[in-house]
Amino acid sequence: METLRDAFDFRDFSKAEQIILVLFSIFLLIFPWLGFGSFVKTVMIYFLLFSLFGMGWNTIGGYGGQVELGKAQYVGIGAYTVSLMMVWWKIPFWVSMPIGVLIALGYSFMIGYPLFRLKGHYFAIATICTSLVLQDIFINWKLVGAAKGIELPIRDHPDFLYMQFKSDTYYFYFIMVLFYVALFYMNWFRKSKLGYQLRMIKDDEEAAESMGIDARWCKIKAYSIASAFVAVGGGFLAVFNLYVDPYSVMDLDLSIKIALMAMLGGAGSMWGPIIGAAFLIPLDRFLGSWLGGQKGLIGVDFMIYSAMIMIVSAYQPRGIWGIIEQFRKRGA
Amino acid sequence: MIVLDAILQGILMGLLFALVALGLTIIFGVMDIVNFAHGEFLMIGMYTAYWTSLLLHVDPLIALPASAAVGMLLGLVSYYWLVKYLIRGPMIAQLFGTFGLMLFLRYLAQFLFGTDYRIIQKGLLVGKSLSLGPFILDWTKLSTAILSLLSFLFVYYLLHRTKLGKALRATSLNKEAAAYMGIRTERMNAFAWMIGGGTVGIAGGLLVNFWYVYPTVGLLFVMIAFASVAMGGFGSIKGAFFAGVIIGMIELLFPVFGHLIGWDFLGPHFKFTLVYFAYFIIVVLRPQGLFGWKH
Repeated sequence: METLRDAFDFRDFSKAEQIILVLFSIFLLIFPWLGFGSFVKTVMIYFLLFSLFGMGWNTIGGYGGQVELGKAQYVGIGAYTVSLMMVWWKIPFWVSMPIGVLIALGYSFMIGYPLFRLKGHYFAIATICTSLVLQDIFINWKLVGAAKGIELPIRDHPDFLYMQFKSDTYYFYFIMVLFYVALFYMNWFRKSKLGYQLRMIKDDEEAAESMGIDARWCKIKAYSIASAFVAVGGGFLAVFNLYVDPYSVMDLDLSIKIALMAMLGGAGSMWGPIIGAAFLIPLDRFLGSWLGGQKGLIGVDFMIYSAMIMIVSAYQPRGIWGIIEQFRKRGA
Repeated sequence: MIVLDAILQGILMGLLFALVALGLTIIFGVMDIVNFAHGEFLMIGMYTAYWTSLLLHVDPLIALPASAAVGMLLGLVSYYWLVKYLIRGPMIAQLFGTFGLMLFLRYLAQFLFGTDYRIIQKGLLVGKSLSLGPFILDWTKLSTAILSLLSFLFVYYLLHRTKLGKALRATSLNKEAAAYMGIRTERMNAFAWMIGGGTVGIAGGLLVNFWYVYPTVGLLFVMIAFASVAMGGFGSIKGAFFAGVIIGMIELLFPVFGHLIGWDFLGPHFKFTLVYFAYFIIVVLRPQGLFGWKH
């Protein structure tokens, strides 16, 4: 009960933040009826999906302060579980998605155990390595479609069990529900015991350990939570795209994007990942469709993107949220 | 025989890996910063040699100084324009900063040169090979290995026998103490980036003789360099050398091994998977590396 109350309790945020949250929620609810085209709808769906990813990453990367650059492998695990079970045994999404999450959890404990012996740079590179190993295996594994990937069979009729709809609106509402579950979970998480322990570990790991916190175990737990979040998103990605291949769901670029979004918005803050996603996903999509479509301008979108990353990391490592807080303090 | 051949080829390749890892380990040793853009420096070095040899109609080996110069310049520019500001921030900002640099250089190359796979068609050594009894060695690989070894020895000499090198090593041992002794540590940082960029530029100029160049070529090599540096111990130059050679041998021995025991699914497409896996195992079991003193 207490947990639930904590999750829905946003009172410790400022008035402005609460109002923006309410307005934002209303906007999301009525968004499909505002008459936007399918392109904008897709952008919104990706925005919510990546906010979900980013919030997941924020547990370990933001609150825990561990530079985790291998989240794509869990997107892959979620996506592949859903699509393989559907192709092989016709298992509905609602069964296969939780199984995917369980597999991701198990795998994350297995890998997290050795991984969290490492710190700093070693850890960051090791997470990239694990992700690349898994991607290499899936690229070469004939049983799961190898590099070609797998296509999900399309049902004759729109089917709720298999999450196949005619209109993007249904997908939009589904990912919106997931987004709010994640949001309430994060609201609880930041006030939970684990949340406080992680922040202490981030500030000073030795001090935290001398207070009796098992730093490694805490990090493993946070890592698994993050992985579960990401695997849910991965499952959604599979039914949304109806297509999965190792390059689209397990690529290093995806891991980077997830971490980057949270970091750009402000790692370790409640709104950071959402702000980051709201900023980067439309930028990514619109730049991609405007500039990437024109011949001779390939890569310009990513150049602008990466220039921003460099500027932010050089001048305001706490991201957009850090800038907002700076202004607020000056104003108050 | 097939094993001996793989070992020999592996050593040749490994010497190049060692040269790539050298710059990474020097920068890490001096500044405690991991340069994710290192592979992209290599890629720029490769493109420099490629275009110089193509446009000026000279042999790619003659274009080598151009690659080195561009690499050094790139290192200096990245230090003064970016890394100098990054080191004030937390580690995550440093990682993302060099990551941003990596993406920027990669897509800059894609913008300028397109995504085509390019390779040098003609050159003094391209396509020629040397028969040594039962072994057949490509001249390109052989000369690459020799020149890598020479560059490595030169940098080793520079760091261990000259005053400048001593100052650099002093900075990497203890920054504050070095500053008290009158060493301008900031300049040493820039110097480390210059050497790092220069060596990897040379490596790129050598690599282009027998490897395709395309904008994302760097990722593979930077991961190999990370693995070599981790294996040798972050900041250790000797370690980087031996680890590079060992990884070169693993990379070529592994498919041979798989073939010999009949596990053909462990084919060549998994050889770099093994490198990532090796990195993981090494850092977990022995974080200070084989020769490391800093962690």
